[in-house]
Amino acid sequence: MRTRVAGAVIGIVFGVVLSWSGMTSPEVIREGLLFQSSYLFLFFGGAVTTAFVGLWLLRRRAPRALLTGERVGWETIAPQRRHVAGSLLFGIGWGLSGACPGPIATQLGQGIVWGVPTTVGLVLGIVLFRRLQSRAQADPKRAPVASMIPARVAADSSA
Amino acid sequence: MLHSQLPWFIGGPLLGLCVVAMRWLMNERLGVMGAWSNVVDTLGARRLSFGPFGWLLFGLVVGAAGFALVTGGPDFHGYGWLTDTFSGTGGTILIVVILFAAGLLTGLGTMIAGGCTSGNGLSGNAMASPASLVATMTFFATAIVVTLITAALI
Repeated sequence: MRTRVAGAVIGIVFGVVLSWSGMTSPEVIREGLLFQSSYLFLFFGGAVTTAFVGLWLLRRRAPRALLTGERVGWETIAPQRRHVAGSLLFGIGWGLSGACPGPIATQLGQGIVWGVPTTVGLVLGIVLFRRLQSRAQADPKRAPVASMIPARVAADSSA
Repeated sequence: MLHSQLPWFIGGPLLGLCVVAMRWLMNERLGVMGAWSNVVDTLGARRLSFGPFGWLLFGLVVGAAGFALVTGGPDFHGYGWLTDTFSGTGGTILIVVILFAAGLLTGLGTMIAGGCTSGNGLSGNAMASPASLVATMTFFATAIVVTLITAALI
């Protein structure tokens, strides 16, 4: 229960920042990707730097997580082909729509109707991935790109 | 944008602190695709028992809705280069098809890569993950190339 409330509150802060920073607008993303404006890269750099320092401090002290009590820590993995292949597909989608998964959600929140077809595609993409995952699990030899389909649990928790 | 833009040196760090909060509170990697897939998976199982990630997605939507209410409407009108380039009924259909395809590629691609701009780009890099660094360089480079191509065509 408490982790759900925390998730919602973090989501609200995230949603307000993605709106206030203009990241919801495909125009702002496009200006960034065309190097016409430095905002996108400065914003992203500021976010990664802050998170990096914060996580580094957390990991050094290795406290227990405030809500769940588990020891704070994580594993990282080496790059695999799927990180390149998947990100290639995503990069094409992002370049066309100017909206990654966070801004797709904030477009819906702001009532931007153009966010609807993007959302339908995104949801079907997840459903399609789960199908491929089940098939790869059932019969790894017959699955088209089994090596590209990570098993269910590992994909969401480590990076 | 119809409102003044939050300076990057405030907005960026605030987003970074969301990543830290997620880790400190429940030892989780903040990723919006984890949020989307939690909602899709839960609904797909005909249940409504969303986890923290599902609630994160609802928070995103509510936060954006609240922002639009306070600032007096959505952030922008039209849809950037797409509505600038294509008009009329045929144009609208084309835009819907492009956005649908872009969403499909985004959903499938991020699930295969195990993260999007937040999961791999923001959280994964902050975790010093080599896989996330490779993913981030790939999707940024690809998006830049695709944007340059569409800009050259129109």
